[in-house]
Amino acid sequence: MSSNTVLEVKELCKYFDVKGGIKGKQRVLAVDGISFEVKKGETFGLVGESGCGKSTLGRTILRIYEPTKGKIFFEGQDISGLSRKKMHAYRRKLQMIFQDPYASLNPRFTVGEIIEEPMVIHHMYTPEKRRQRVQELLETVGLKPDHIRRYPHEFSGGQRQRIGIARTLALEPDFIVCDEPISALDVSIQAQVINLLEDIQKRQGISYLFIAHDLGMVKHISHRIGVMYLGHMVESGGADDVYRHPLHPYSKALLSAEPIPDPNTARSRHRILLEGEIPSPMHPPAGCPFHTRCPYAMEECSQAAPATYELEGRRVACFLYSPRYLRQREGLAIEPLLQKTS
Amino acid sequence: MSLLEISHLTTSFSTPQGTVRAVRDVSYRLEAGEVLGIVGESGSGKSVGMLTLMGLLASNGTVENGTIRFKGEDISPPHGRDKKAAREYEKKMRQIRGNRIGMIFQDPMTFLNPILKIGTQLTEGIRCHQHCSRAEAREKAIQLMREVGIPSPEKRLDQYPFEFSGGMRQRIIIASALACDPELIIADEPTTALDVTVQAQILELLKKLTKEKGTSVIMITHDLGVVASMCDRIAIMYAGKIVEEGTVDEIFYDPHHPYTKGLLNSINNSAKESDEPLVPIPGTPPDLLKLPAGCAFMSRCPYTMNICEVQLPPEKRYSETHCSRCWMECRDESYIRFDELPSADPVGSRTEG
Repeated sequence: MSSNTVLEVKELCKYFDVKGGIKGKQRVLAVDGISFEVKKGETFGLVGESGCGKSTLGRTILRIYEPTKGKIFFEGQDISGLSRKKMHAYRRKLQMIFQDPYASLNPRFTVGEIIEEPMVIHHMYTPEKRRQRVQELLETVGLKPDHIRRYPHEFSGGQRQRIGIARTLALEPDFIVCDEPISALDVSIQAQVINLLEDIQKRQGISYLFIAHDLGMVKHISHRIGVMYLGHMVESGGADDVYRHPLHPYSKALLSAEPIPDPNTARSRHRILLEGEIPSPMHPPAGCPFHTRCPYAMEECSQAAPATYELEGRRVACFLYSPRYLRQREGLAIEPLLQKTS
Repeated sequence: MSLLEISHLTTSFSTPQGTVRAVRDVSYRLEAGEVLGIVGESGSGKSVGMLTLMGLLASNGTVENGTIRFKGEDISPPHGRDKKAAREYEKKMRQIRGNRIGMIFQDPMTFLNPILKIGTQLTEGIRCHQHCSRAEAREKAIQLMREVGIPSPEKRLDQYPFEFSGGMRQRIIIASALACDPELIIADEPTTALDVTVQAQILELLKKLTKEKGTSVIMITHDLGVVASMCDRIAIMYAGKIVEEGTVDEIFYDPHHPYTKGLLNSINNSAKESDEPLVPIPGTPPDLLKLPAGCAFMSRCPYTMNICEVQLPPEKRYSETHCSRCWMECRDESYIRFDELPSADPVGSRTEG
C-alpha cells in the first residue's frame, strides 16, 4: 500500500439475514467482495442503480453496519475488527454526509447545538473554543453567524445540507462518505453544494467517497470512479477514462442511458437499452451477476464469476477482458466493445 | 387550430399563512403531435398548472383567471367558488379526463391501488369511457400490456401491484394513460422515481408509442437531460411564471433569460470535453407568499436593475417560437423609456443582486 492511501478496502462483504415469510431464513448479498482504495485528497465516486449496494458499502466502511467478511484499512490500520471503544477514536476521522437533509438534523436542536454536538461527544476543546469553532464552521459552509440560534425547520433544503456538512467538518475528518448528498436538492442548489464540497477538499485535503446516481455530477466531482452492480464492483478507473471509454458492458449501458442535457448529442448518440431489471440480491444469478441482462453474455458467464482484470490502470470484472479473450481479440466480435460508445 | 390553448391561467391556494399564487398568468399553446417539456424547480408551479388543466386541484385551490381551450372546445375551469358552475365543469371534465387527456404520474406505487388487481385497474377506464363489455375491455387491456412490453400479459393481468417492479408499474401506468387513445398525455415527472437504465427504457417506450399514435405530450420534469432527448419545445418556469419558451435547440443553444442560462451552467454536461467548473445560481427560490411586485428571479439574478423590482418584464420575442421575459432583453426597445419609470435606473448601476 502506498503511503498516500487513506482508505483501502479488501474483499469486503456485507450480507443481511432476512427472517420470516414462508421461505424461512434468507440472505441478501448487499455487498459481495469489493476491493478498492482511496488516496489522500481524492474523491472516489460510486455509481450504480438503486439496490446495487452502494449505500451499504459506504455504511459498512464506516462500520455503521458490521462487515460480514473482508478488511478495511484506514491509514494502514485494520479497522474492520476494532472494538467499539477503539473504533471511537477513528469515528472522528471517518465521517458521513447524509442524503436527506430533512431527516438527518434533530428538529429540537438549534443549529449551534447540532454542529457542536460531535465536538462534545469527542471531548474536543473548551466550551468557549467550541462556540468559536461553530462560528467558523458556519462561515466555511456559507451560512451567517446569526443562524446559530435558529432551528432546522427555518432553513431550506440546500441550507440544511450546509448545516449537515458543517457538523461533519466539526471533527476535522480525513475521510467523508457522502451518501447521495445532492439528490434531495433542486437543480440550481445542487451545484452550490458540489462547489462547496470541492472547495473544502481543496483547502483541507479531505478524501471523499461520493455516492450518487446522478452520473454527470459524479463525473464532475470524482477523480476516480467505481461502477457497482448487484453488490459487485464491475469496473473502476479514472473518472474521464471510465466515462469516455467504459469497458464493462454494464458501464457502457449505464452511461449510454444517462440523459444528456444537450439536444444534439441526445439525437446522435446510440443508446444501449438493457432488457429487464436488476435481479434481486436475495437470489443473485450464478456466475457473473450481469449475465442475465448482458448483450455479450457467453456460456462461461453463467458458470463462473469473472475475476477482476487489470487493464492499463483500470480494473474490470468481465470475461471479455480476460487474457485469453484479449489474445483472441482480433478473431472475436468484441472489437465494437473496445470502441467508443458515443 | 391548436390542440391545446391556455391563456392567462392563474391558480392560487389559500393557506393558513396567506394566499399562494402557484401559477401566475401562464399562457401557451400546443399543436397536435408535439412534445412540450415544462421545466422548473420544485414549487415553480409546473405540476399545479397541469392539475388545473385537468380540473384536479385540491379543495383549497381556486382558479382566479384564465381560459383553456382543448381542440377549440372551452374547458376552462370556473373562476372563484361558484358551486353550480363547478358541478357542470366536473361533468364535462369526466368525459375528457382519462379519455381524451391521459395522465402519467410520478410515483407508480401511489397511483395504483394496492388491493385491486392490475386488470381491474386497467379495464376500469376503458369500460367507463368506451362502454364495452368486460371481455372486450380485458382483450384491450391485454393488447395494451403487450404494447408496453409486459411479458405474458394474460397472467400478469390477474396479479396485484406489489408483484410488479418499479419499471413494470410505470409501464402499467403508461398503458392506462394510453387506454382510451387520448389526444394528449400529460406526464408529470414520469421517470423521476426510476433508475437510469429503466428510465431509458421507459422514455424510449413513451417516445415510440406517442409517435406511432400521434399523441401530443406535455412532459413535466426538472431534468434537463430528459427534455433534451424527448421534447420538441420547452417552457422554463420560475415561481409560477414561464420565463422562457422555445424549441429545444433555442433553449439549449441560445438561452436568453438569466435563469435559463443559470440552470444550464449549474448542471454538469458530461458530453462536454473539458470539465468546466459549475456555476451555481446563488440564493434560493423565493417564498411564494412574499413575491416581489416585479420579476421573481430578481433576488438571484446577476443583472438586477431597479426596474426589475417594480414592474414585471414584458414578453420579448426572438422568433416564431422563442420568447423570454426579462428586462435585460428589452434595453433597446424604443417603447420602454427607462427614465420615465418610477425610480428606474439604467443598466449597470447594480451588478450584484
